[in-house]
Amino acid sequence: MTAFLLAAIHAINLTVVPLLLVGVLRKLKARMQNRLGAPLLQPFYDTAKLLRKGETISQSASWVFIWAPRLCLAIAVLLALLVPWSGAPVLGAHASDFILILYLLALGKFAALLAAMDTGSAFGGLGASREATLSVLVEPTLAIGLGALALSARSTELAVIAASPAVPAVALLVGAALIVAALAELSRMPVDDPTTHLELTMVHEALILENSGRNLALTELAVALRTCIFLGLAVQTLLHAWPRYPELSFSMRYGLGMIGLFGAGAAVAVAEGFLVKLNWRRVPNFIAFGMVLSLLAALVAAARG
Amino acid sequence: MGGNGALTLPLPWFLGDSPFTFVVDPLSRWFLAITGLVGLTAAVFSPGYLVHLRRRVAPGFYWAALSLLMASMALVVLAANALTFLVAWELMALSSFALVASDHERHAVRQAALTYLGATRVGTGFLMGGFLWAHQLTGSWTFSAWWIWGPAALGPAVLIFIGLATKAGCWPFHLWLPIAHPAAPAPVSAVMSGVMIKTAIYTMTRLLVLGHLSAPALGPLVLSLGAISAFWGVLFALLQHDLKRLLAYHSVENIGLIMMGLGLSMVAQRLHLPLLSQISLAAALFHTLNHALFKSLLFLGAGAVDARTHVRDVEHLGGLIHRMPWTGACFIVGSAAICALPPLNGFASEWLLYRGLLGLATSAPFMGTRLAGLLLLGWLALVGALALACFAKAFGVVFLGRPRSRAAEQAREATRGMVGAQLLLALACASLGLAAPAVLRFLSQIAGTEQGAPAALAQVWTLPLPLLLLALAITMAVLRAWISVLSHSRPARRYITWECGFGDLGPRTQYTATSFAQPIARMFGALYRYTLNITVGGRDRRHFPESVSVASMYEPYLETRLYAPLLRLFQQAAGTFVMRLQAGSIHQYLLYMALALVFLLWLGYR
Repeated sequence: MTAFLLAAIHAINLTVVPLLLVGVLRKLKARMQNRLGAPLLQPFYDTAKLLRKGETISQSASWVFIWAPRLCLAIAVLLALLVPWSGAPVLGAHASDFILILYLLALGKFAALLAAMDTGSAFGGLGASREATLSVLVEPTLAIGLGALALSARSTELAVIAASPAVPAVALLVGAALIVAALAELSRMPVDDPTTHLELTMVHEALILENSGRNLALTELAVALRTCIFLGLAVQTLLHAWPRYPELSFSMRYGLGMIGLFGAGAAVAVAEGFLVKLNWRRVPNFIAFGMVLSLLAALVAAARG
Repeated sequence: MGGNGALTLPLPWFLGDSPFTFVVDPLSRWFLAITGLVGLTAAVFSPGYLVHLRRRVAPGFYWAALSLLMASMALVVLAANALTFLVAWELMALSSFALVASDHERHAVRQAALTYLGATRVGTGFLMGGFLWAHQLTGSWTFSAWWIWGPAALGPAVLIFIGLATKAGCWPFHLWLPIAHPAAPAPVSAVMSGVMIKTAIYTMTRLLVLGHLSAPALGPLVLSLGAISAFWGVLFALLQHDLKRLLAYHSVENIGLIMMGLGLSMVAQRLHLPLLSQISLAAALFHTLNHALFKSLLFLGAGAVDARTHVRDVEHLGGLIHRMPWTGACFIVGSAAICALPPLNGFASEWLLYRGLLGLATSAPFMGTRLAGLLLLGWLALVGALALACFAKAFGVVFLGRPRSRAAEQAREATRGMVGAQLLLALACASLGLAAPAVLRFLSQIAGTEQGAPAALAQVWTLPLPLLLLALAITMAVLRAWISVLSHSRPARRYITWECGFGDLGPRTQYTATSFAQPIARMFGALYRYTLNITVGGRDRRHFPESVSVASMYEPYLETRLYAPLLRLFQQAAGTFVMRLQAGSIHQYLLYMALALVFLLWLGYR
């Protein structure tokens, strides 16, 4: 595989795949609700439109509000290059250490929370508080799950984990746990309803209520990238349950990874067609499923040594 | 001069049968550096801050006590035998007590100082017991001569550990810490949280980890108490409204993290995993330095806010980033560092701790230990997420949004000295994260002394943090340039925050710290009774309430169900017993003296 090919794939991963995934998700959801839905490429048009529009910034906002979306997008781009979510080899194996990845995500989250509180809007505070609560629930699940994978692969680097065969049971359990964690982390149903019109029930939309124009475009791009990273990582982990997956040729792995990614997106869309948003107080019970899956994976990994 | 670079004072400077002896080695140098760094910034910060306390604290008294505290902390980490150590330890306790009590005209401060004094007495009591026991077993007061193994070591080691844990503020001996630290002036809180409680960590490292006072059961005990401490501290920090109290609870958390490193190091020694033991010890020592830096930075920031607004309740602050931009920027760096966000220093040491726990999970010989390693990994992530929530709350409510009171509205930036001290610490936080390999090379001198193979430690660090930071900075610069090109045609407009069309709602409608923390507080309600009292008043109160008030309260079960009954019992017993003893009769007192004399004579004659 040439360096040129790799660069081309990363360029596609960064630019086309994330927004396309969002488009597919929306289209499928609309079809399930018997609507025609917006065109598949609507997220691209939306982003272009938002970038061209002017923006309104709250009078009480400071530099935190202006810089946070840029930091979030920069982190998302960096993570998209470091996390093996598409099946393509990553840039820099040492930097794909999963603890570093988790804390880079946390850095982005910290910036997003502060930006939401910067405008002094009650909605921003509400969204920030809920987002922080969700991360308290999700972080242990992610750490234990990825830790179990690292234990089986004897390395903390996701690049090494992706290249080495996994224990099938651990891979299946962690993959499922990652899906649950992704639903919470990405503010999808049943944790959060991304299409609701009532701000009081939102998590993520309340968080970015004050963002507009270019600021909003950057935020949406970062969210689309994070969607790819989380769902893609879960898919890759599930694929590792097939022992021969790491031995496949690069193009096979990338193809399977992309099919899996869009399949997972479709599954999320279908699930959103059937599920309702949970009462906020029952969300911990839902994420506890992910926690239990992670704990089981840890048990299996520790038993095998 | 004695052997091994020890300095022994000549004959008149003796304590009973033991001389004053001091020794300098890499471990004490490490702690001296911490003391010096934090002491320097506290001294730079103090003049500006003392203006705020002018009428309540005498500057002469303040500076004398602070100098004594700094000197005694230096002596503690230099002391080579138990008696020298105890003298310095007591000087440290008394001078810090004087500093906590310096604003003694306020009732709450007096209460806090007395609580603190009580805690230091209990701690020193346990410590003296442990030292006496170790002396009994070895016949020496010199730390390096204490070679005790096996079950015999458990008694002195546990007593010494309890004494040190009380000083460090480890769960369940932490109760005094969130009371005493906020009561002191801010630079003193910085020194106490940043350095003073770390002298206990130093002693633990010297005696229990690197020393030969090794009891097998101690490692798991230290590890589990550290884990509980970390969680407990951050959870209760989330419930606080007082900024300094919130920071004090975070000291409990970070002491827990440091002790997890120490405990892990002891466990690894026991399992014969030298590299793992070095990694976790390095994590603990590195975090000690890092916590000293970012915690003093945050305390100084809180002090600057306090000095400029005279408000410590976060619910009455807000919007300070516009009025105190430098303090705000430094506080954001400190917050990010304490949440272990890359590329700051907190991340470097917590990463080492994670690495240590994963090492336990991969290389321990028993399945239970491996599973424990993985679970502690998740525990650490939980603590990290809680810390993130807590500092998003603290920074968001204090510095962002709109001012919630007149005092916050009229705040000005702190004096140059106050800002300079914070900038220095913020710079140190940023650079130490990037300089982690160099720090590890120094730490391998300490961690590698006893266990060989010091070179391996520096190679554990594999993260290209400077490169990542550069990539992030370049991406952000490109984005900024792109945005500025785009905004040529349509510049950004400044307008009020969206208020649902009601018109200006006022700053009171902002989200409060209490509401921010409420979902998390409810989740862990098993550890305390969390109540939210909402009272709605007015004639037709259902539809047109005239007054609405909300008060949140929590009752921690550890305090109310365990410590309060214990203290009551002690007070009752002491009350009745002491009343009998001190009946006021001179004959009775003479009898006590005679009995004491007979007892002493019997001891000497035996």
